[in-house]
Amino acid sequence: MAAVSQTKIAIWDWPVRVTHWAFALIIPAMWWTAENSQMGWHKRLGLLLLALVIFRFLWGLAGTETARFARFVKAPATLINAVIAALSRKPGPPEEPIGHGTIGGWSTLVLLGAILTQISLGLFAGDPFDGATGPLNSLVGVSLADRLTDWHETFFWALIGLIAVHLCAIAFYHFVSRRNLVGPMISGMGQVNGLDIREGAALKNGISPASLPRVLACAAISALIVAAIASGILVPA
Amino acid sequence: MIQRLPLRLMLPIGLASLVVACGSPEPTTETGDSAAEPEASIIEVRQENFEGIADAFKAIRGQFEGDTPDFVVVETNASIINANAQLITGHFPEGTGIDSGAETEALEVIWETPEEFAEAAGNLVAASSALADAAAAQDLAAVQEGVGNLGGACKACHDVFRVEQE
Repeated sequence: MAAVSQTKIAIWDWPVRVTHWAFALIIPAMWWTAENSQMGWHKRLGLLLLALVIFRFLWGLAGTETARFARFVKAPATLINAVIAALSRKPGPPEEPIGHGTIGGWSTLVLLGAILTQISLGLFAGDPFDGATGPLNSLVGVSLADRLTDWHETFFWALIGLIAVHLCAIAFYHFVSRRNLVGPMISGMGQVNGLDIREGAALKNGISPASLPRVLACAAISALIVAAIASGILVPA
Repeated sequence: MIQRLPLRLMLPIGLASLVVACGSPEPTTETGDSAAEPEASIIEVRQENFEGIADAFKAIRGQFEGDTPDFVVVETNASIINANAQLITGHFPEGTGIDSGAETEALEVIWETPEEFAEAAGNLVAASSALADAAAAQDLAAVQEGVGNLGGACKACHDVFRVEQE
């Protein structure tokens, strides 16, 4: 095991943290509003969540080092090796000194994809004669809308399952590996991995600051997409 | 009336009676009194009834996505809606509205203006009956008009008597 520095360095930029904790707040609220017939709020929060997810995908292309998919989504073969190594409790493939590991990186992509899938189903869900409808409901016929509504209800449990795995992983790190993953996701600051670190890996001094123009550019694109969906211009009158 | 109860309703109603017989496991209202149990079950029965209507109306509208609607499907489902619609007013005993704390979207205005509620339910009975007749007569124009009127009857009642959905 490589020497673990006690010095805290910047690991997660603020847009990563803000989107992450917004998901943690909005997803339970989405469930609550659906269960309690607050469909107006369900739709508004759903659009906000969509904007945040799109932003996070864009930030995965344009954000700081640890936010980028190109850095944390490894080749599938590497993922398989990492999973086998983890299950057999052997050292896995070399990891970055900070940011997502190989398995965590894929988990992040899958979680973001699952949130996006669930919102996308909701955009088409509902029945105009029976309560609320998603803003794109009239783009599909009544039978397809009905099926997408069923999937929206079913896929929620898949999302819950993935979130449960996510929370279990955090608990495992906390209690077994004695590593606090929650603190750095709040403060952005943490220590380098105590793992087998790639030779000559960069980022020993932490990530670069988030560029405000890039944040604004990603936010603007995301807001435009969501505004187009919400305004109804995509739906023939 | 009982003989004409659609098959699809027998299971939910049977299950609902079973739930009553066994003691309701579902969440009761905050008051937690035993009187809440039969009320909770009638809420389930009426929700199943409305779901039957919603499914039947989806089946009808689905017929207009293809080239030619199947009049038999339209007539069958309009008859299901008609049978279910006749049950609606009997499914709303006092104290089963949203103010009871039960999981329901039934607004108290149902009991404040019972004549208007009965009229709205009656409009659905009439609209579904007219649609079934039009489908039996294989009159496409009348069927299309009937589908529009049926949807209007659903919406008009929801707009007034059901929790705001937007």
